[in-house]
Amino acid sequence: MRNVPSHLIAFWGRRDLLWHMTIRHLRGQYKQSALGWAWAFVNPLTQMLILSFVFSKILRVPSEDVPYPLFVFVGLVPWMFFSNGIGSATDSVTGAASLVTKVYFPREILPTAAVNTKLVDLAFGLIILAGMMVYYGYPPEATALWFPVIFVVQFTFTLGLSLPLAALNLYFHDVRFLVAQTLFLWYFLTPVLYPVDMIPQQYRWIFDINPMAIVIHAYRRVILHGDAPDIGRLAIGFAISLVIFLLGYYAFKKMEPGFADSI
Amino acid sequence: MQTAFDESIEVEFRNVSKGFRLAEGRTLREFLPALFRGNGFTEPFYAVRDVNLQIRRGETVGLIGRNGCGKSTTLKLIAGVTAPSIGDVYVAGRVSPLIELGAGFHGDLTGRENVHMNGSILGMSSKDVDRQFNDIVDFAELWDFIDTPVKRYSSGMYIRLAFAVAVHAEPEILLVDEVLSVGDAFFQEKCIERMHQFQREGTTIVVVSHATQLLSEFCQRVIWMDHGHVIADGPAAEIVRQYAATVPHHQEAAV
Repeated sequence: MRNVPSHLIAFWGRRDLLWHMTIRHLRGQYKQSALGWAWAFVNPLTQMLILSFVFSKILRVPSEDVPYPLFVFVGLVPWMFFSNGIGSATDSVTGAASLVTKVYFPREILPTAAVNTKLVDLAFGLIILAGMMVYYGYPPEATALWFPVIFVVQFTFTLGLSLPLAALNLYFHDVRFLVAQTLFLWYFLTPVLYPVDMIPQQYRWIFDINPMAIVIHAYRRVILHGDAPDIGRLAIGFAISLVIFLLGYYAFKKMEPGFADSI
Repeated sequence: MQTAFDESIEVEFRNVSKGFRLAEGRTLREFLPALFRGNGFTEPFYAVRDVNLQIRRGETVGLIGRNGCGKSTTLKLIAGVTAPSIGDVYVAGRVSPLIELGAGFHGDLTGRENVHMNGSILGMSSKDVDRQFNDIVDFAELWDFIDTPVKRYSSGMYIRLAFAVAVHAEPEILLVDEVLSVGDAFFQEKCIERMHQFQREGTTIVVVSHATQLLSEFCQRVIWMDHGHVIADGPAAEIVRQYAATVPHHQEAAV
């Protein structure tokens, strides 16, 4: 753990490379698909439409007095960043075998670039969200400026989980399947499709310790309701995320010397 | 890792061994039962065994030996790509590997973009790359194709660009693994010329090659490895002669 600060400084020193790796990832993402970048719009939009139909029209899930499509989309866009970010990061080191076996650079650049790539999808999602807010007559209020603060918590958490998973995936290729399965279950245990209020009191603790539940609830407050986030909860979310990040980074650096031998 | 006492030592191996596990299960399904049977961890194969060596700043050292003797693993240890299983590897300067050139290239990116990308992988800052960009493209003689995606390049063009980036990365230690055998005679000549320039500038160079002719002309010193051990280390001409004597039907391999 003592080495973590010096590793982080070395990582920062290679931010040019992080930038180039992110661009490289981005170029590959929608390459050779007919719709190209349009997928960044199509994907969240279709999900939002289907989810709204199922959960609002059929199951009639309440949505905090906000139109359900808007309600679900504010949760869906950050969730997709989290889920796709981790999914892509898990394969990032394994996918860069030719580099990892030839030249040294701080390997955490690979999963970080994979997560960064999803920032573009997030930005597209936010553009759609802005359009929807205008359409439904919910112009964003000043509290929406909290978004970056909440996002820092989410990003820290996402990267913190991505790092050890990317490393473990080198040793056991099962990890990617485990990740996909876990994210699927986690999706339902996070209030993306339903409001936090619906959760029975005796199960609330599950959501109190889930940073993704904390951040999605906070996004809804600041974007849809014009409220400040619950600072206490957000602080807990940040503390958990920071601990996960530091442990994840430490574990990654511990495993790093064996990467080239395990690919 | 401790620092060497002698400032002029750029690379030092102290009792270095490197083991690989060959028959390792790659999925949990294979690994967990093996672990219960007690053979989850197989005996490692040692590619490098108890190697001690020192390379001084500005030296040009050749590594020679049969396939599988541990030359390439030694280069990887110097490059910091892999860690020793036993012992310490100490490297003082910035290493630029010329191992299998173009590893960092991305087919969909243009030559220009790949120069930036690859330069940055080799530790150059964006400013370094901008400053050197014209020299790199001049060296590679690829001005006509610099904005073409590199997947459209011929293998020769690919290698030229990769070599051009690597030699402009201002390495303190240059690692060269059999790469001089690619490209046409003119470009080879140019590469050798550039390597001589590195020698004059005092860059430390470690070359792996089967081309004994090249090694004896180009290196001051040659290290002969066999089954992971260093079996001889001395003046290039002498070691190359000893090595050549052991090779049946010895032929001068091409550069």
